[in-house]
Amino acid sequence: MKLNFPFRHELISFLLLGLITIVSQIFRSQLGLLNIALIHLVPVIAIALQGNIRSTMIVTTISVIMFDLLYVPPTYSFDVHDLSYIWSFIIFFTVGYTISYQANRIHTNAVKEIFLNTLSHDLKTPLSSILGNASLLLKEKTQDPLIRRDIIVQINDSTQRMNRLVANLLDSARMQDIKSPLRMEWCDLEDIVGVALQEFRYNPKQSQIEVHIDPELKLFWGDCALLVRLIVNLIDNALKYTENGKRISLTITNDDSNIKILCFNESKPIKKADLKNMFDRFYRIDYSADIGGSGIGLSICRDIVHAHKGLIEAYNVPEGVCFEIRFLVSISPSDRLKELS
Amino acid sequence: MRVQELILIVEDDEAISKMVSISLHQQGFKTLIAADIQTAARIINTDSPDLIILDLGLPDGDGKGLIKKIRSELMLPIIVISARNDEKEVIASLDAGADDYVIKPFSIDELLARVRSAQRRFLGLQPSYNVILCNEIALDLEHHQVTLRNEVLKLTPTEFNLLKYFLLHRNQVLPYSRILKEVWGVGYQHEMQYLRTYINTLRKKIENDTARPAYIHTELGIGYRFTCEHSNLD
Repeated sequence: MKLNFPFRHELISFLLLGLITIVSQIFRSQLGLLNIALIHLVPVIAIALQGNIRSTMIVTTISVIMFDLLYVPPTYSFDVHDLSYIWSFIIFFTVGYTISYQANRIHTNAVKEIFLNTLSHDLKTPLSSILGNASLLLKEKTQDPLIRRDIIVQINDSTQRMNRLVANLLDSARMQDIKSPLRMEWCDLEDIVGVALQEFRYNPKQSQIEVHIDPELKLFWGDCALLVRLIVNLIDNALKYTENGKRISLTITNDDSNIKILCFNESKPIKKADLKNMFDRFYRIDYSADIGGSGIGLSICRDIVHAHKGLIEAYNVPEGVCFEIRFLVSISPSDRLKELS
Repeated sequence: MRVQELILIVEDDEAISKMVSISLHQQGFKTLIAADIQTAARIINTDSPDLIILDLGLPDGDGKGLIKKIRSELMLPIIVISARNDEKEVIASLDAGADDYVIKPFSIDELLARVRSAQRRFLGLQPSYNVILCNEIALDLEHHQVTLRNEVLKLTPTEFNLLKYFLLHRNQVLPYSRILKEVWGVGYQHEMQYLRTYINTLRKKIENDTARPAYIHTELGIGYRFTCEHSNLD
């Protein structure tokens, strides 16, 4: 929602201001100038709570202008006869600035808290597996080499899981950071699928993944590293919820205006409510299930897709579950590539 | 020539420098560890190592400065270790003269492969052949012809030049801008869509499974690496 309507908070504030103007105009004599001034602080507070100082300053300025224009004598002019009103205006800006500064801090803290929670929850599982297995290796000297190998494989798996989680958190942090915009460039999705599959090269189920890519696939203008993360998370999710021997397929097709990525895995159908909720941060369908991983993967998928102005949805199909992603192809590289030499 | 080659590990994290050092010892190398740039610079002067493994995040300054300093005086392979999400730093150090890189966390096999390939490149002159062999590919420089499993491939001139550049620089990381400059020419360094498109078509012609490429590997955010296990040049 946030990404689809980037200025909705500003819009709400302006609607509020309009409403206040109507109310103040009708009840002007009953309210008195002081109360009207106080009511004009409402949209300022409303926008300031979002923590964006620039929007706050814009709304505050307009609120002050409306108040000055309509109520401060002489009305319908920008002149201010009584200079004490200048103080009122300054107070407007101070209130707006202070609230949005604080709101910004609280928001940052909330994000930090979410990260800390994820870290502690989702790093603990692989970490305890590594610790336990490593101490096993340290203690038992006379061990069956097959068991030893099993233990080492488990340590390796857990390490890779942790590595993937850290990668997810870093990419997620990068997307949250307004200062570091997406690194847009021309991406070859086939290449991106290849890089994503590399991450699973030691996974025994890796060979179950069928890949179908439109040979005429166009280049896509996006952040290649994030798109790799998107495919990795989709595959990771499919691998987690697919039993041995069952089918996983990744299909990318493309027409004039859309690129469609379909990730299918053979499994039991998912409940309708879960189909929507599973893109929410830290949501996992079955917490009791012994499936490693975190609820963060799909939510990052959604963030990545939205950051590329695309749509992501999940639905049940006769034999399993399908994740569908649609990207709009708004620009395309010049078709005629120069042949040199 | 020394019997045992000496590798200098410049890394402030003891856990990593220890692990790297142990693995290199097992492979028959001698190692020295420096935890900061100052110590590293001193060791380079006194012990003249044969190869340097350099972490970019050091407490006392920028590793790139050290790379430039080494490059201005000595010819020896440098492999940098970088943190994730730091592709810019990697490209900058490759431009400064580093030969290869690994990204933390890396597997020791990966690092050893880089060390070997960097060594090979520095060992001596490239033998000159008219035909470059790489696994199942044979590129005939004289007749401008490429065969894959003894079948002639139809390549456009740009595809041929791209493949030739890859084969001459096999197993090395090749930053995007360098490939574009060398294959397309100066002024094309930023035309990424050319490179992406040609890599895609070249893969379709030489790879068995384009989604699981065996030859052209993508180094995300940095460039490509053309892998050759068997070549007549090595």
